[in-house]
Parts: sequence; C-alpha cells; structure tokens
Amino acid sequence: MRHTLTIASREIRSLFLSPVAYVVLTLWSVIAGTFFLASLYGFHEQQFRLQELQMLDRLEAMNLNDQLIEPFIGSMWVIVLFLLPAVTMGLVASEKANGTDELLLTSPISIWDIVLGKFLAGVEFVTILTAIAGFFPALLFLYGDPELGKTLAGMLCLWLVSVTYVAVGVFASSVTRNQLVAFILTFVLLLILGMMLPFIVDISMSGSGIPSESPVAEVIRWMATGSHVERMLQGLIDTSDLAYYAVASAIFLLLAKTVIESARWR
Amino acid sequence: MTDEQRPTGASSAPLAIEVEGLHKRYGDHEAVRGLSFSVRAGEVVGFLGPNGAGKTTVMRILTGFLPATEGTARIAGHDVFSDPIAARRAIGYLPETPPLYPEMTPASYVDFVARLKDVPRAKRKAAVDRALERCGLTAVRSREIRQLSKGYRQRVGLAQAIVHEPQVLVLDEPTVGLDPIQIREIRTLIRDLAASGHQTVILSTHILAEVEAICQRVILLGRGRKVLDQPLAELMAGGVALEEVFTRVMTRDASDALERGVA
Repeated sequence: MRHTLTIASREIRSLFLSPVAYVVLTLWSVIAGTFFLASLYGFHEQQFRLQELQMLDRLEAMNLNDQLIEPFIGSMWVIVLFLLPAVTMGLVASEKANGTDELLLTSPISIWDIVLGKFLAGVEFVTILTAIAGFFPALLFLYGDPELGKTLAGMLCLWLVSVTYVAVGVFASSVTRNQLVAFILTFVLLLILGMMLPFIVDISMSGSGIPSESPVAEVIRWMATGSHVERMLQGLIDTSDLAYYAVASAIFLLLAKTVIESARWR
Repeated sequence: MTDEQRPTGASSAPLAIEVEGLHKRYGDHEAVRGLSFSVRAGEVVGFLGPNGAGKTTVMRILTGFLPATEGTARIAGHDVFSDPIAARRAIGYLPETPPLYPEMTPASYVDFVARLKDVPRAKRKAAVDRALERCGLTAVRSREIRQLSKGYRQRVGLAQAIVHEPQVLVLDEPTVGLDPIQIREIRTLIRDLAASGHQTVILSTHILAEVEAICQRVILLGRGRKVLDQPLAELMAGGVALEEVFTRVMTRDASDALERGVA
C-alpha cells in the first residue's frame, strides 16, 4: 500500500511537469464551458418558446436538472473518451521507454503496487477533471434551485466512467513501450466500450435469425458504458450500474498486471 | 593499496552471492549455460567478457528482473526466485542505461527510490543526502536530470543504487560511454564505496583496465559459460596478461560462431 502511494505520487507529479496535463485540462475547461453555455442557451430558448406558445403544462415540467445538467454531463463523459488517452498513454509505456521499468521490477515491491499506483495517479487526475466540470452546474445553485441529489448522482456518474476509462488506459499503456501506440489502442478500446458495442450487436444481429433480445445481445449491451450512464444521470444509483464500473475496472487492471508480469517471462 | 589485504580477509566472510547451475534460454538461443560462482561479502568482483557473453543476463537474473530457465541464485542468503522481495531489498542495481526520470531532480528521484527500497522514514532524508554527497551530486541536486551531462546522470544512477546501503551492489557497465575523466571519477567512486562500506560489488565491463583498477577478482564469461575465476593478484603474479586470456576467449568465441554459421 505504501509503495502504491509512492508510485502514484511520483506519477502525478511527473504528469504535472509535462505539458500534456495542462493541455488536457485547458481543453477540458474550454469544452466544458462551451457545452455548458450552449446548454444554458438551449434551456433559455426552449423556455421562451414555450411561454410564447402558452404551453404552460410543458413549461411547468421544465427543470434545470433534466433539461440542462443531464445533457451537459451526458456530453462531457463522451469528451473524456477523447481526451483521457492522452493522459494515460504514458503511464506504463514511458517506464519501458525510459528503462525505469528495470528499476521498478528490481525493487522490493509487487506488480500490483505498480499497476494500482498508476491507476491511482490517473484517478487523481480525473478527479480534477470532474471537479472542473462540476464547477458549472454548481453555478446554477447560485441563481436557481436544481436538485442537489440528482446533480451529485450525475457528477458521480461522470467520475465513475472516467475512473473505469483510466483502468482501460493503464492496460493499453502496459502492452507497449510506444506512447502513440498506447494512445491509439486506448482510444479504440474506449470507442468500442463506450459507444460502439450496442451498434455492433444490432448490426451483427440484423442479418442472423437471432432475436435482438437474446442473452448474448443482452450481455454485450451490458458491457457498453452507455447503458450504465442514463439511469445514473437521472439520479438513480443502481447497484448493477456500480457493479459494472467496479467489474470493468478490475478486469482491465488485472489484465495490466498480467501483461507486466508476463513481459519478463519472454 | 589496501586492496591487496582484502582477499585473505574476505575468505572467511559469509557468501553474499551464490549462483548454481544457472541457465537462461531465449527461445533457441542459450544466453547462459550452466553458470556457477559465489562471491564473499566485501569482495569486488569484475564480470568480464565480450559483448553477448551473458553478463547483462546474469545481472538481470541476480536482480530479479529476469527469471532463470534453470538453476538457483541467492543474494545474502535469500533465493531470488522464491524470496524475491528480501533478495531485492539486499541489492542495489545500476542497469546499463541508468533508469532515470528526466523530468525529476536528483534529490526527488533518489528520495523516490529510497521509498521504493524501504528506507525507514526517519532515516530517509539523511540517506538521500548521503547518497547524493557520496556521488558528488550535492551541487546539482535540484537541477532537472535531463539537463545533466552523461557523467552526472551515471552518478545519479549510482546514487540510486546505494541509497538504501545494500549488501550487494550490481553495476552493469558503469563507465560505458563516458569520457576518460568521467571514467576515472566513477571508478574512484566505486573503489571508495567498496572500501568504506563492507559492500560486495559485482560489476560488468569489457574494459580490461577497469578490472585491474577496481576489482580483486575476475570472472571471465564466454558464450554463457565461466571461462576463468581467479583473484586478480594471482592472475597478475602468474605472469599471464589479462589481455591475453581475454583475447583467447574472444578468439574461441569467434571460431565457435563461425562453426555455427557454417553448420
């Protein structure tokens, strides 16, 4: 545990000594601000139109959580998918490129210390990302009264998705010494995991005679991040969704550990 | 020279490194073929051999970076395969390319390694300062490692290897790629380290003068086998020039390789 923290704190310090962390943080802030502003305008416009049309029941049903915060967070988790690979690509790959893996693997520490240390550093980073994104919905509490619980559930969802993606990044970074390869691999894995799985199911099922409600299709849909985001954004924290994030993270971390361990047996 | 008194004094010392029947295969290629040797505590041993003789492989097995295909290796009584954590704690290792993080400073880097090697918290700061001082890094301790010259980087690598005062120091070609002045500095440093502590040092090189300058004993490797294992004093007294022995091994190696090529 002590060694895990040692590795994590070195990693996070090095991350902030490189320009990558700042580029990602800047892009993230700008994108979050733009999306938030766009959502705000959209909200305002819709309200105005409903008022004009005298659709009072619809106007009554409008609220900050469902029409503003939810779509905002719903688009931010997709942005994670694009930006995070740049941060996680170097986690293990750079150790191999530097030759520092030889230091780590000959120190009296376990491979779990390395994997969890890297993971923890990534988690620290995405916690900062989540906090920056959370700044915008927090502003709404100054001028309106969104539901706190629902908003926090949305933020938790964004954080959990990011944490899971860090685990994917640690794995992808451990299979290569080349950071560009790690970046592309992470990106492709996240794209499949995050967005493409449901489509893959639908396309492959459409030709075959298998009904789209078959257990296999269900399992593949369950694997997609998208299917575990919706309910949580609406404020429903379901244990099956929490289990998804935990299981997915654990699987990728275990894979990373296995890859690092097996490298020395070749 | 105090060096000459040491071999007799060391003969009763406990074994710091014990290697028995070590084999290492990479696919078809056999890098180490049945190597056995032992080193007593306090000895400074030179691992000599042409490139590709298996020096780096043996060192990597000793430090636990690579597993052996066959055989055993013990560091300060701890088996590197069955008790790797204890064995690694007893070892300080400088790989061929020093394992440095270019964005860190020598001070923060050596502190990081001290934490990895379980230097107790109360002693950590003193241990880091001492390692930096012994390697002549005090003046550059807060500079970025990437800005340092190759000689200084090698010293940072050495500081990293000694920070936890290991019983056994494993140095893989510590002077390769340095200029003559830097080479002399590093050699003096290694000799001082060996003389001050009761440290066992095993260093690999293909420079004969290096062995003559630092080591008390020579282990000559050729194609993964031990060709010669003798105290340097004896070797020199026997009138056989180290260079001649070395050349003989090299030639045999070359003709072996030629045979393999023909077959």
